Amino acid sequence: MPSPPPSSPPARPRLSLNRRRDEAERPAHQRRRRTRRILASEGVFDSIVSLAGVLGRPVTNQTGQEIGRLDDVVARWSDGQTYPPVTGLVIRVGRRLAYVPATTIDRIGRAEVLLRSARLDLTDVVRRPGEVLLAKDVLDHQLVDVDGVQVIRAADLYLAEVLGRIRLVGADVSTATLLRRLGPRRWRPLPTPERVIDWAAIQPFGEETDSIDGSTQVRLKTTHEGLHRLRPGELADLLEDLRRDERRELLAALSPDEAADALEEMQPDDLEQLLRESDPDQAAALLSAMEPDEAVDALRDLPEPDRIEILQRMPAKSAVALRELLGYPEDEAGGIMTTTLVTATTDDTVTRVVDRLAESRAHDVDLDAVAVVNREGCLVGDVTVLSVLLALRTAPDTRISSLLEDEDVVTVRPHASANEAAVQLIEARRLSLVVVDDDGRPIGRILADDVLDALVPGKGRFHFPKLF
Amino acid sequence: MRLPTRRTTLVYLAAAGPGLVAAAAGNDAGGVVTYASAGAQFVYRTLFLMVLITIAYVVVQEMVARLAVYTGKGLAALIREEFSLRVAAFAVTAFAIANIGLMVTEFGGIATAFDLFGVSRYLSVPIFAVAIWSLVLFGSYSYAERIFLLLTVVFIAYPIAAVLAHPDWSQVAANTLWPHFVASRSFLLLSIALIGTTITPYIQLYEAGAVVDKGVKSEDYRFQRVDAIVGAMMAAFVAMSIIVATGATIGGTGPLTSASHAAHALRPVAGAAAEVLFGLGLLGASALAAAVVPLSTSYAVAEAIGVERSVSSSFRQAPIFLGLFTAQILVGAAVVLVPGNLITLIINTQVLEGVITPMTLILILVLANRRSLLGAAANGPWARWVGGISIVSVAAVASVFVVLTVLGWFGIG
Repeated sequence: MPSPPPSSPPARPRLSLNRRRDEAERPAHQRRRRTRRILASEGVFDSIVSLAGVLGRPVTNQTGQEIGRLDDVVARWSDGQTYPPVTGLVIRVGRRLAYVPATTIDRIGRAEVLLRSARLDLTDVVRRPGEVLLAKDVLDHQLVDVDGVQVIRAADLYLAEVLGRIRLVGADVSTATLLRRLGPRRWRPLPTPERVIDWAAIQPFGEETDSIDGSTQVRLKTTHEGLHRLRPGELADLLEDLRRDERRELLAALSPDEAADALEEMQPDDLEQLLRESDPDQAAALLSAMEPDEAVDALRDLPEPDRIEILQRMPAKSAVALRELLGYPEDEAGGIMTTTLVTATTDDTVTRVVDRLAESRAHDVDLDAVAVVNREGCLVGDVTVLSVLLALRTAPDTRISSLLEDEDVVTVRPHASANEAAVQLIEARRLSLVVVDDDGRPIGRILADDVLDALVPGKGRFHFPKLF
Repeated sequence: MRLPTRRTTLVYLAAAGPGLVAAAAGNDAGGVVTYASAGAQFVYRTLFLMVLITIAYVVVQEMVARLAVYTGKGLAALIREEFSLRVAAFAVTAFAIANIGLMVTEFGGIATAFDLFGVSRYLSVPIFAVAIWSLVLFGSYSYAERIFLLLTVVFIAYPIAAVLAHPDWSQVAANTLWPHFVASRSFLLLSIALIGTTITPYIQLYEAGAVVDKGVKSEDYRFQRVDAIVGAMMAAFVAMSIIVATGATIGGTGPLTSASHAAHALRPVAGAAAEVLFGLGLLGASALAAAVVPLSTSYAVAEAIGVERSVSSSFRQAPIFLGLFTAQILVGAAVVLVPGNLITLIINTQVLEGVITPMTLILILVLANRRSLLGAAANGPWARWVGGISIVSVAAVASVFVVLTVLGWFGIG
């Protein structure tokens, strides 16, 4: 029954405050960053062959005799080569599939393949490590365009002879190409390279697939170095758009810190999906590398059993901190705060405090000020990072207590509402507030943007189950 | 799917499983009207057919859930990756046509509901078209959604109504268990409508998407399987109770012609308030689907050709996505504004669904049979046969209808 499955939470607009960079909002210059490298050289551009066009075309030997029809093209990733070389062809001979190595190829034309020798040994298809079937595993599948920072689905792949070998040189993502493939057969071989992305900009994925004989599993790992140059927000966009297997590969290619930073920028529902489908150990590792306030938000979204399991597998220190934060309702100060807190005692020198800040470099987004405590551990002041750094220039050896201002330090209790925190922030004209317990000891910090997140209902982003 | 920390039990139920959603939310306008019409026209005679449809529906929903869990991909993505581009394009086009049909149904449901309250469709349909369009694009749809969702709970009254109407249970049982068909053109037409409204292509796409979104691991598939099967069976149970409730109250009075006629079936529960109750349920279900259906088409088409897709983009950034979304609402509303009987219009669009459904079903069957895709989780011999037979028989009914219709154009038969 076309019941409006609508009850669907998925169709509910979600808050999109988490520093969402909607694709639509991405500055145009980023899209233009896409470069044409090999394809820019005219010789190559003129001789490119469309994979979609040549599939199913006759494969002939030197005497012009048809041996079979082209079924697929085998290429090898890896080897540190930007443009993957073609290593062989899969030919359909009658009802059987046979493999010929690339060395026997004379020429791949737009509508036919010529083989070099008159006599051929057709062997069974065996896929070796690092090899992929371009038509089966890459064409119409997801790829990441690293320069354009987008997930694409290859509408066509282009081959060309470069440095003496036939190689994969680009992926096509235009609508015109899809129409060409849908149209009559004679349209198909003509390349329509209006929106070709040079292969140098692409991070491919090796799907975990059975090889043709169904025995071995191939898992490919080549990481585009450009991925490491992307900002966390950009990686988050890519992670949101990829499907499960591809997402796993991308995560595996990132360092734990890169991955954690990207996760912090993801939409809550996409992040929830990512954590639920990861194995609990990996989810635990990712969450403990995230900033505590973000990790707690993510944990809150998970169903109870998953949350418990993940917490059990975390390093004890992170688990304790996160459990404590989870104890506060999410609309109270305790639920909004981060436990990342740099503290100093009144006797510490400015240099010492700066050293401590340097140690916390990994949490830079959460560093706004240094909480100063007395010998009993009670908060006596909150000095902004800026004043500490300026003091370092003039008086590096003075005590931090000399930087304390006379006025009372502004704090909130963990059970204060987000509204109260907002009022306090406005009064104090600060970017963050210290959260203190009943004895006046600092337990966390609330940043202005987190208060905003908690207060503004915001315009929703429609979340719809991914159809693709 | 996010587990909310607040909100109603019904939403919790929804979060519990996409499969259950179908049953909990009740039927949409097309479903309620078609089932009611079946009861009014053929009393309990369609019940055996409903058993066959239920088997096919359960089998298909299970396969869809399995594909989603084991591949982590939605149905449309699988079709694009596993079949040729032409097949994929054909499937997306068929899906889009089916969904435009659904839009007509949903606006038909809105118009019918307001008819019951004495409001002209020339007022209610344009207002709702604009309201749904702007609520989705400008963001505060979530509140409206909860209200609509709550309204659909009304349809849970049907099983109670079925019991209170004191149907002849021996007749009900005989018609359910004893294989039979009625050899008439109107019965065939209604059969297609029943198939189309129960196994709508959009539900399969939706189920796959929702299961993928939940991030279910393959080790946990058995829970998802229970959810899919129980959900499908509950949906079928509600459907059959609508047929029984209507059959017992207004059975044999000929084809359904008006909503107030259909609302009679709720009299045993609601008495004089039956019309209001029926109208509210119809409105909730229709308005809900009227927002989700066009979005699902837009996402499917936009992703298929790889263009910008987001409800928060501008028309210049995402012309295809937003254009399609808008066009579907316009077409749905416009067709409903053409003078004519709304009930007949709704049933005819279900026939359209019924003709398209078998195509999606066959693609799903082929995918679920593929070992290269699902490995050990692919259909075993048992599932292959049961799935194959039920899907092929549903497809056969639809094909017979298409052939007869085409022959009819040429004056044969």
